[in-house]
Amino acid sequence: MAHSNAHPAAKTARRQDPRSKTCAFCDKQVAYVDYKDYPTLKPFIDYFGNIRSKYYTGNCLKHQKMLRTAVERARFMAMLAYRK
Amino acid sequence: MGFTHKAVMPTMTPSTEDARIYEVAVLYPYPLNQKDESKLLKDVEGILADAGGMQVAKDLWGRRGLAYKVKGFSEGSFAIYHYELDPLKLSEVDEALRILPGMLRHMIVKPPKNYAVVKYSETYVEWQKERESVEDLRTKEREEKIQKQVADKAKRQAKRATTDKKPVEAAPSAPAAPGAIEAELDKIIGSDSLDL
Repeated sequence: MAHSNAHPAAKTARRQDPRSKTCAFCDKQVAYVDYKDYPTLKPFIDYFGNIRSKYYTGNCLKHQKMLRTAVERARFMAMLAYRK
Repeated sequence: MGFTHKAVMPTMTPSTEDARIYEVAVLYPYPLNQKDESKLLKDVEGILADAGGMQVAKDLWGRRGLAYKVKGFSEGSFAIYHYELDPLKLSEVDEALRILPGMLRHMIVKPPKNYAVVKYSETYVEWQKERESVEDLRTKEREEKIQKQVADKAKRQAKRATTDKKPVEAAPSAPAAPGAIEAELDKIIGSDSLDL
């Protein structure tokens, strides 16, 4: 691959172990993610207002779905932006 | 803060089996005079009371910036109500709130069982204070870093100035005697030992 040839150091740099990430909500034993709670939702929203993928945040599917509904509700009530 | 903990959640169960607890969120424009505001809120409460609702909790958030403009308003006020309602009356309430004049948005949500009501008007203020202190700390750190950088640069410049001076003094001394070199050359060329 041309890219790896250009940067031999890239070969040695390893991707983070996905098992090392843990769900932020599971750690706190969350039963429900509230759409009114801006400080909680904020870290899972990127600059453009998109929901960060669970691939990057390490959330479990159950809590990612809760988060999604919460964010969608907050967006409707103009607490969060649909698009920045 | 903000998370609903499994263990901590106090029970908020309806009094009868037919009723359920609903959360009604209302958004109305911010630059609204006192009279209109109280009238609007009274109307909302009236609609909910007409449907046989029983108020469980009420939380007025007050002025908040909106993430996007709603009907030309970039600022609004939120009011969160928790009502015990008959599920059959829900569509009625929803329709009545929808056609209520002077309102921007409303939403009726069914909170999960044993949901603990959190006063977000208070937690928000706390969070803002916390954020301010964090931001202050960050700006302080940044300023310190810049000051350090400036000091380092000044030091480096001072060091360079002292090291630069020495070669300047030494340089003219090297080619000081051009005549001496010529004499040396003549000596080499004129010598018999040179074998060409």
